[in-house]
Amino acid sequence: MKKDNKNVTRRSVLKTGLALSAAAAVPSIFNINHAWAQDVTYDGKVFDAGGATLNIGEWGGGWEEFVRSALTNQFEKDFNCKINWDSSFPWFPKFVTKGAKDPVYDIANWNLPNLTQTKNAGDFFLNTDEVRANVPNTANCWEFAFASGAGVTWAYQPYVYAYRTDRGKAVNNFRDFWAARFANKRGTYGTENGLMHAFFMATAREFGKDQYDMNAAFKALEDAMPMKVSEFTFNMLSLLERGEVDIAVHIEGEALSLKQKGVPVDVWQWDSHPILTQTKTISRYAKPMQKKLAFALLNRTLEPSFLNAFGDKFLWRPTNSKATITASLAKEGVMNTASATEAFWVPDWNFFVKNKLEITDRLNAIFGL
Amino acid sequence: MGKKIPLPMMILAILGFCYMLLPIVIVVLAGLTAGEFLTFPPKGLSFRWVIAFLQSEKYLSSFFFSFKLALMTMVISTILGTAVALFLSRAQFVGRGAMRAFFLSPVVLPGVVIGFALYAFFISTGMGISRTIWGLSIGHILYSTPYVIGTVGAALASYNVSLEEAARSLGASPLRAFRKVTLPNIAQGIQAGSIFAFIVSFGQFEVSLFLSAPNSEPLPIAMYNSLRYKFDPSAAAAGIFAITLVIASVLLTNRLVNIRRLLEKQ
Repeated sequence: MKKDNKNVTRRSVLKTGLALSAAAAVPSIFNINHAWAQDVTYDGKVFDAGGATLNIGEWGGGWEEFVRSALTNQFEKDFNCKINWDSSFPWFPKFVTKGAKDPVYDIANWNLPNLTQTKNAGDFFLNTDEVRANVPNTANCWEFAFASGAGVTWAYQPYVYAYRTDRGKAVNNFRDFWAARFANKRGTYGTENGLMHAFFMATAREFGKDQYDMNAAFKALEDAMPMKVSEFTFNMLSLLERGEVDIAVHIEGEALSLKQKGVPVDVWQWDSHPILTQTKTISRYAKPMQKKLAFALLNRTLEPSFLNAFGDKFLWRPTNSKATITASLAKEGVMNTASATEAFWVPDWNFFVKNKLEITDRLNAIFGL
Repeated sequence: MGKKIPLPMMILAILGFCYMLLPIVIVVLAGLTAGEFLTFPPKGLSFRWVIAFLQSEKYLSSFFFSFKLALMTMVISTILGTAVALFLSRAQFVGRGAMRAFFLSPVVLPGVVIGFALYAFFISTGMGISRTIWGLSIGHILYSTPYVIGTVGAALASYNVSLEEAARSLGASPLRAFRKVTLPNIAQGIQAGSIFAFIVSFGQFEVSLFLSAPNSEPLPIAMYNSLRYKFDPSAAAAGIFAITLVIASVLLTNRLVNIRRLLEKQ
């Protein structure tokens, strides 16, 4: 048997140490994403992304067609990038399955309950301060645009009752939904719909001690039965148009669009003033170029020119104080002023998410689903 | 000599068929409405939503994407499903029943479960195919193949293996015996299975929900998204084209089968 007679020298110790240091550095190369990601800044100027791909989670259908034509097609040209558009909702399980360090989307558009659920599940998103520091147009946004703590709300609509005006006097109270004249003609949504979430919280606030009084909300919703339970707001519009529903939980813009078509309907904004929001988040661990592009896309989303066009098309209100309210909403008295926005209420979605299973089960039982 | 079907049974069968076909009629009429919303009965008849579908880049790209995906799924599922059905019908081993149940299990499990399980699997294994066309194809193939296994298995159950054995004893190679004797006898089952695979893939929603790739949306997902944000009848118009495609594929396949039978008779 041969014995290795190599001596331990100063040179060999140095070599071994160097090799070990290099080996130890390998994992940090793979984890460097985080460090880079934190260093990215954006100043609002156009830059060349060198053909990088930006993964976005955003609604599909007619929404996608419009946003592509009014925003992202030009964005791709200006920034020399490609947008990977995924509209297969829900985003929550995709984010959680892939994990925070390898985000499924670089930038995603949300309604608040789903956003809150995901935010609470891990360190997925930049906080609002980090976003504000890198998205110049946020300087012009109303303060409630940052209420989520994890993104920037760029458009919103108040929750309203949409009701038929040919079925008696105008609605002017949250409890009118329970009036005897609307028996069997009330419309609401399935338990996964954000409108139902807001209606539940507003009902708890109205009938209970506060928004956390779930039992009061369950009791009130039981009293409102039977209700027509729809999955989509546009489906509810068709029920209203046909007279199958005389009063429905809805959102301002869509309901007013029905009124503008000559259907005898009007809207009444709930006195608790909750709002349906479109909020964009930027993933904390997105790659540097993708994160910079995400800042740029959010900045473009908040441009008054896009918000005005979007408002004209879908009757959403902008959160940017420099944008204007579309003419058809302005005709109804809607304004984009500080005083017009200060009454808005954002329900405690953390509470909702925490109790979502119980709420869903109880509501399904009430609806007979 | 054909057996006479009792009248009450006949009436029941006709009513049953009408009941099953009624949603198709409703979709077609809703797609031809002149109104603003997807409702039934339609408010007058018009082609405006059909034209809107044909002018929609989103719908058309989704339609053709679904078509290509279903075609690819059909080809691969047919090959895999036929091979599995042959194996299960001929191999004798302990646990054959369990293996059959295993191969058919994707049909029993909810599509959402399969879609999510595959999505999680692709991510955890680092295969890099989550939310890609390849991952989506695997999901569709997994979900469609059991239909081929079922129909080809049924064809093989009524097939007399001694025919192939006779061909072998007359000197035919295993491949030639299969191609000339077995394949023509089970062709109906294979064709039925492939049609099923195509239709199941074309209309697949739940599996696609988690696996669909960005910028490549199958038609059912595009229709769902359209209904979420715009309840206009263009989704029903898209449904008309989807139904037409499925019916055309069934008729075409039947036609091809008949032509081949005619040739065989000559």
